Amino acid sequence: MRNEIREQRRQRGLSQAELAAALGVSRQTVISIESGRYLPSLPLAFTIARFFGLTVDKMFDPDDEEAGL
Amino acid sequence: MITFIPPRLRKPAWTALAGLVFAGAWLVHGGPLWWVSIMAVIATAASTARVYRLGGQDTDDGARAGSRADERQQLISVRSRALGFSLAAVASFIGLTAAIALKAVWWWPFLVILLFMGYGYLFGLGKYGVAEEGTPDDTDADTGHPTRSPVSP
Repeated sequence: MRNEIREQRRQRGLSQAELAAALGVSRQTVISIESGRYLPSLPLAFTIARFFGLTVDKMFDPDDEEAGL
Repeated sequence: MITFIPPRLRKPAWTALAGLVFAGAWLVHGGPLWWVSIMAVIATAASTARVYRLGGQDTDDGARAGSRADERQQLISVRSRALGFSLAAVASFIGLTAAIALKAVWWWPFLVILLFMGYGYLFGLGKYGVAEEGTPDDTDADTGHPTRSPVSP
């Protein structure tokens, strides 16, 4: 699962710690999500997408094989 | 009760409580090994301070120790507990079978542990929502009967 979080965060000049504080999660979790090691829950995915003013499907892009498409 | 304790102090409080109960057990035990209770109190104080200090760190361990874990950190904790549960179950089963084979009298604590684990597991399945998936959307929720004719396409 690819995601746009790192790019969006950098565009807005936010650090991982600042994004984590805004989302109500830890900095370590932001790092894990950005690197694709952790898939956030649906509520957190929506929170992330809303924070950046995007939709969830713009924010997260499943690999076709992974998604079974 | 736990909600009255600030999050940062919860894990240290449990650590202190467990350690003091353990020390109390040695004190009640008495005999020539009564001094173990003193050692236990010292170890408990050190452990409590360590957990409190850990709770202030900006790490996954710190978040858990400080009772402020987010969803990923809680998931890690749950998976770790599940692994520990599985290993303890295997160890208990091995202990039980070994005790039976050796005709030892200490077989029953293993059985008690296994029973607690088994009932705890079943309790967890009920508490955390197994069989709460509801009825299929082509089934009447009140009667449980199909709402469509089985012969219709």
